Amino acid sequence: MKSISLYVDRDSILHRIDPVNKMVYILAAIALPILVPNWYMALICMLCSLFLLWIGKVFQKSLPVYGFVFLILITVILIQGLFHPSNETPLFSLGLVTYYREGFLFALWITFRVINIVGSFLILVLTTKPSDLVESLVRRGLSPRFGYVLGSVFQIVPQMMSTMKRITDAQRSRGMETEGKLSVRIKAFLPLIGPVVLSSLIQVKERAMALEVRGFNAKGEKTFLHEEKAYVATRSILWGLWTVMIAAAVWRVFL
Amino acid sequence: MKKLVVEGLKYRYPGAQELALKDISFEVETGEFIGIIGRNLSGKSTLCQALVGLVPHFYHGAYGGKVIVDGLEVKNHTISEISRKVGIVFQNPFTQVTGSKLSVLEEVAFGLENMGVPRREMLERIDDALQLMGLEESKDRNPFDLSGGQMQRMAIAGIIAMKPQMIVLDEPTSQLDPQGSEEVFQAVQSLSREGMTVILTEHKPEKIARFADKVLLLDDGRVVDFDTPAQVFSREDLAEYGVEAPIYTKVCRQLNLRRVDSGLFPITLEEAREVLEKWR
Repeated sequence: MKSISLYVDRDSILHRIDPVNKMVYILAAIALPILVPNWYMALICMLCSLFLLWIGKVFQKSLPVYGFVFLILITVILIQGLFHPSNETPLFSLGLVTYYREGFLFALWITFRVINIVGSFLILVLTTKPSDLVESLVRRGLSPRFGYVLGSVFQIVPQMMSTMKRITDAQRSRGMETEGKLSVRIKAFLPLIGPVVLSSLIQVKERAMALEVRGFNAKGEKTFLHEEKAYVATRSILWGLWTVMIAAAVWRVFL
Repeated sequence: MKKLVVEGLKYRYPGAQELALKDISFEVETGEFIGIIGRNLSGKSTLCQALVGLVPHFYHGAYGGKVIVDGLEVKNHTISEISRKVGIVFQNPFTQVTGSKLSVLEEVAFGLENMGVPRREMLERIDDALQLMGLEESKDRNPFDLSGGQMQRMAIAGIIAMKPQMIVLDEPTSQLDPQGSEEVFQAVQSLSREGMTVILTEHKPEKIARFADKVLLLDDGRVVDFDTPAQVFSREDLAEYGVEAPIYTKVCRQLNLRRVDSGLFPITLEEAREVLEKWR
C-alpha cells in the first residue's frame, strides 16, 4: 500500500512525545525569532530544531526536503547580497558586480529562520504517525468529522492516484497520446481528469452512505479503540514551551 | 414475531418524475432469510436503502407509507438510531472502506467508536465479528491491501460488530470473483444460522434458491410475488420480469419434471438430482 505520509518508524524519544506538543513547538519555532528579532535567536532556534531532528533519528530523512529548500535560499542569498537597500561594505567583486556584506548577513538571517521553521515542521511530520496526530486532536475536542477528513486524506489520495493511473492506461489503450510535447499533454488533460473527478464523486456518495449507516453522525460521546497513548512528559513540555514564548513576548514589550 | 413491516411504501427520488417504489408491502419474521430479485432498476437497491433509513433521510424526496424495523418507524428516526437495529452492506467493497483507518481491526471498530461502545466491550465484539467472518488473521493488515472478498467480509464484520438484529446486503457479491463470492455467501449463511434476519438482493438465482427462506420478486417498483423460492421460481411468467430461474429449474422445466410432493419444479442441485434419478 502506497502512502503519502512521510512518517519514519524509528524508536526515539521524539516518537514518544505528544503530537500536540510538536505542534506547539512549531508555533514556538515561528514565534520566537519574530518576537526576538536578532541573529542569535535565529541561530539558536535553528540549531535546536536540527538537534531535535537528530535526536529523532530522522536527520537524514530531512535532507531531501532541505535540498529543495536550499534551491530557493541560494537565490535569496544572491539577490540580497547584490541588491539589499542597506548594502554598504563590499565583500567581493566579480567584474562589474559587487557582493555586499549587509545583504549577505540579512540573507543568512532569513536562511536560519527558514531552516528552523522547515525543521520544526519536519519534526512533526517525520516522527508522528498521521493517525496518532488526528486521534490526539480529536481527543482534545477537534470535531470527529474534521478528524476523519484529515485522516482519510492520507489513504484516499493514493487511491485517487492509482485511479488516475488506471484511467491513463485505459485512455492510452484507446489510442490517446498522453506523452510528448506540452501541447499534447494539455490536450490529454481533460479526457483524463474528467473520469477521475466523476468516479471520485460517485465514490464519495457511496462512501458517505457507508459512513452514515455506521453511525458517523451519531450524537453522544464517542469512544476510542486504542487506549490513549502514554506520551513522555506531556505537561512539562507544554508548559515549558509556553513559558519560553511568553517570556519572549514580555521581553519584546517591556525591554 | 415480526422483525420488519413494510406498509404501502412509496418513494420518489428528488428531481425524478416517476416513483421508484410504488406501494410496497410485506412482512418479515425474526430470523428469516429473504432474497430480493428483479431486473435492474426494478427498485431493489432503493428498497434496501429504505429499510435502513438512507431513503428518505440521505436522499430526501417524496416518501409515503411506513417501514417499521423492530418497532422503530424509519421515517421518524435518524440513520444513526436506525443503524443500531439494522445494518447494510453495499455492492462495491472499496467504497465502503472508511479510508481513515490503517488496519482491519480499526476499520471494524469505526462504527463502535461512533456509537460510544466502551473499549473492553468493543474489543470483544470485534473479535467475535472477525472470527465469524474468518478474518482474525488479517486483523493487522491495511484494509486496502485485502482482496475483494476479504474486503466485503470486512464490511460485513464492521456492520455485525454493531450488533444489529437485521442485516441488509445489496448485491454484495456482484463485483467479486467466484471464490470471493462463495466466501461472502458462506459468511452470510453463518449469520443466518446465528439467528440474524437477513435480507439479500442478488442476481444469481442458484444462490437465492440455495439460501433464502422466501423470495421477494420486484418489478417496476411493485411486489410481484413474495413466497418460497420453489413457488417463485416455478412461475411461468418469470421471464416477463427479467428474472431467470436457477439452471436446475430450467432443465427440469424443459423436461417437465416436477417434484412429487409439491408439484413444483426443483430449484437446487439436490432436488434436481432426486427428480432426475426417478425419471431415469
